[in-house]
Amino acid sequence: MFKAIISAEALQDAIKAVSAVVDEARFEIAPEGLSARAVDPANAAMVSLELSNDAFTLFEGTEGEIGIDLSRFVEILGMADRSGEIELELDPDTHKLDISMSGLSYTLSLLDPSTMRKAPSVPALDLPAEIAVSGSVFKRMIKAAEMVSDHMSMGVHDGVFFMEATGDTDHVRLDLTGSDLIAIKPAEVRSLYSLDYLTDISKGVGGAGEIVIDLGRDLPVVIKFEPTSGDCKIKYVLAPRIESD
Amino acid sequence: MTSFKEFADACETIEGIASSLEMTTVVSSLLRRISEFGDPDTELAIVSRFIMGRVFPDWSDVELGVGPSLLYDAISRASGLPVTRIKQLVRETGDVGETAKVALEKGDEASKSQTTFLDFTGADTAPAAGLTITIADVFERMNSIAHASGKGSQQTKVKHLQYLFGTASPVESKYLARIVLEELRIGIGEGVVRDAIAQAFSEDVGEVERAYMLINDLGEVSVTALHHDLDAVAIMIGRPIKPMLAQLGSFDDIIAVYAIEWKFDGTRVQIHKDGDCVRIFSRRLEDVTNSLPDIVKLVKSRITANQAILDGEVVAVGAEGKPLAFQEILKRFRRKYDISAMVQKIPLYLNLFDIVYLDGVSLIDEDLRARRARLEEIVAQHKQFSVAEQVLTDDPAIAHAVYQAALDAGHEGVMLKNPDSLYSPGKRGKNWLKVKPIMETLDLVVVGADWGEGRRANLIGSYLLACYDTDTGEFLEIGRVGTGITDEQLAELTELFSQYIISEVGSAIELQPAVVFEIVYEEIQKSKHYASGYALRFPRLVRVRFDKMPEDADTVERVERLAGG
Repeated sequence: MFKAIISAEALQDAIKAVSAVVDEARFEIAPEGLSARAVDPANAAMVSLELSNDAFTLFEGTEGEIGIDLSRFVEILGMADRSGEIELELDPDTHKLDISMSGLSYTLSLLDPSTMRKAPSVPALDLPAEIAVSGSVFKRMIKAAEMVSDHMSMGVHDGVFFMEATGDTDHVRLDLTGSDLIAIKPAEVRSLYSLDYLTDISKGVGGAGEIVIDLGRDLPVVIKFEPTSGDCKIKYVLAPRIESD
Repeated sequence: MTSFKEFADACETIEGIASSLEMTTVVSSLLRRISEFGDPDTELAIVSRFIMGRVFPDWSDVELGVGPSLLYDAISRASGLPVTRIKQLVRETGDVGETAKVALEKGDEASKSQTTFLDFTGADTAPAAGLTITIADVFERMNSIAHASGKGSQQTKVKHLQYLFGTASPVESKYLARIVLEELRIGIGEGVVRDAIAQAFSEDVGEVERAYMLINDLGEVSVTALHHDLDAVAIMIGRPIKPMLAQLGSFDDIIAVYAIEWKFDGTRVQIHKDGDCVRIFSRRLEDVTNSLPDIVKLVKSRITANQAILDGEVVAVGAEGKPLAFQEILKRFRRKYDISAMVQKIPLYLNLFDIVYLDGVSLIDEDLRARRARLEEIVAQHKQFSVAEQVLTDDPAIAHAVYQAALDAGHEGVMLKNPDSLYSPGKRGKNWLKVKPIMETLDLVVVGADWGEGRRANLIGSYLLACYDTDTGEFLEIGRVGTGITDEQLAELTELFSQYIISEVGSAIELQPAVVFEIVYEEIQKSKHYASGYALRFPRLVRVRFDKMPEDADTVERVERLAGG
């Protein structure tokens, strides 16, 4: 059983963040709230969402699982007025999701969760460096790298967080210190990532105020943020590219 | 669960074998191993298709929709080598399989390859080696690739492939890449797989063949053979069967009573009616129901039986009552949008000439006379929907008069059918003969091409043709054609073939075998120059046979026969 009312803005931001890396996802419904964990088809990027019941104006849910085609869902949610509310209700007979907003009522066919690929367990990672930057700085960094290459390094050297991208002809580097950083827990780290994925992730980040990046040496990166308030948590994990000579 | 490596290793072995008997043994022992240790009902079906470079059943409409450029992109991402380097490898090796293998072995090149989470789940954080994927994993990913649709589907396809190449070993990648382009290049055709299934499960080859002609999927046939259920295989309404075929004949062949029918200048259709549900399949067994709402409507109202599978020929007729060029019918068959406008513009006429299934009963084991009588009983004739006229005679002069009338009406000639013969799905034999006036043409697969020179620079100027070897599934080269093509056609063909380019070396292009040309020629000569052992004198392009698949091309046996006669 699942019935909920939530602000359009909160739901739009949360679903957009998940859809940045996957086309479909399994959502788990529990009395505590809604959660999802999904991995992209290449098994290189993962996203998890935790939307606590506090994020909703009304939340009634018992343990259950639904599969959602995210591109359809994002389109439908796009019809809602951001300042309005969205009502979700699972029809137990048809196993479809009724979505009501500003006078519109949609019925969304759900995917069978048992046919969907399970997300692998999150690898236990020892990521010694943690950096907090603003969402706008994060997006600017990725945009700058995209102009010269299809991959970029992120790392910390001598307490300075850096991004570096090298293409066939051009090169770009960004060093962030002091006021550009919200916080840093330094360690000597550096890893290389595909910009295809980082670009998608930066789209999912939306207008988030603070992004926390956990880095290691040639290890996956963890990128965490809270789109609206503490009631919604998004986490991306992206596997690195490994240089071999 | 059987690992994909088991399959890849068998492919490696087969690649080093020339004899089809030995190949059959290797395939049969692979099938038997899977049936003993794997998850046979799933894996056996998949492997029986994979070994021929096919992913889905022949009757299925599902397509992977992955061309060379998407594949190169995926190999590039998985290996970390740039796409330009992948293309260069394709030119050097002349093969996507070798390219994938070399790219993933990385050689001594510096690369930045994408890892996956699997690389980090071990105790050690270093990328783990030797992780294997199962046959079922590969199929599951291919299925996801085929079903990816809408915005971002190309990216989704690439990512699934990236996962496969990222997880597979280099040898596995070699065969993965080839399966993705549905060309395994190990010389295994339907004949070998059919024999291997029979050998693996101690079944009769004829029974395996019969089941295949009826259900059109060697995967399912293989599972059925394992369970020794082949004799239970029957025609299924909604699942196309292979149409019975005709071979070339002459009026001299009329030594007894024959059923003479016009050979219409149209295209073959197989119609399945199950109550209110009508499905129409093309000669290639593609579902063309949606393009032919007019025919569907006529079938619903004019077939009085509840269930039937019918065989016939659709003809487009122009203002003067003469059949329109074949291309016009294809416009109808290939139409996906504005279908109703096309129905008005190009009206179609259906001529039914056979019935193979009626209200729950298969009729393939009844003779033509009986089938014909059943057909006449259930068709309410209409000017656009009729049973083809038939004359029963043993007099060649009467047959010739029918032939002349067919030609006068703008059709191709006549069919001479043995009225006592059964319906043999997928068989070309003496029971159905076709008599046509023009010199016989060959339907050949285009496997390569050359960029033109001078006026034809930027256009593909000539095409390398091949016939089909049913035993090995290989396409054997037989000659080149560059004449009979107008400038306008050249441009159209260049565009058509651009999606099938596998590699280019200088001006020579290697093409994925996908398109069939109908070729007229003066003579067939023996030749050491081409793999088929024959060459064509003065070949000219008649038309592109969009209705035929590469495997429907003329066989090397037919070439041999024509050369001898």
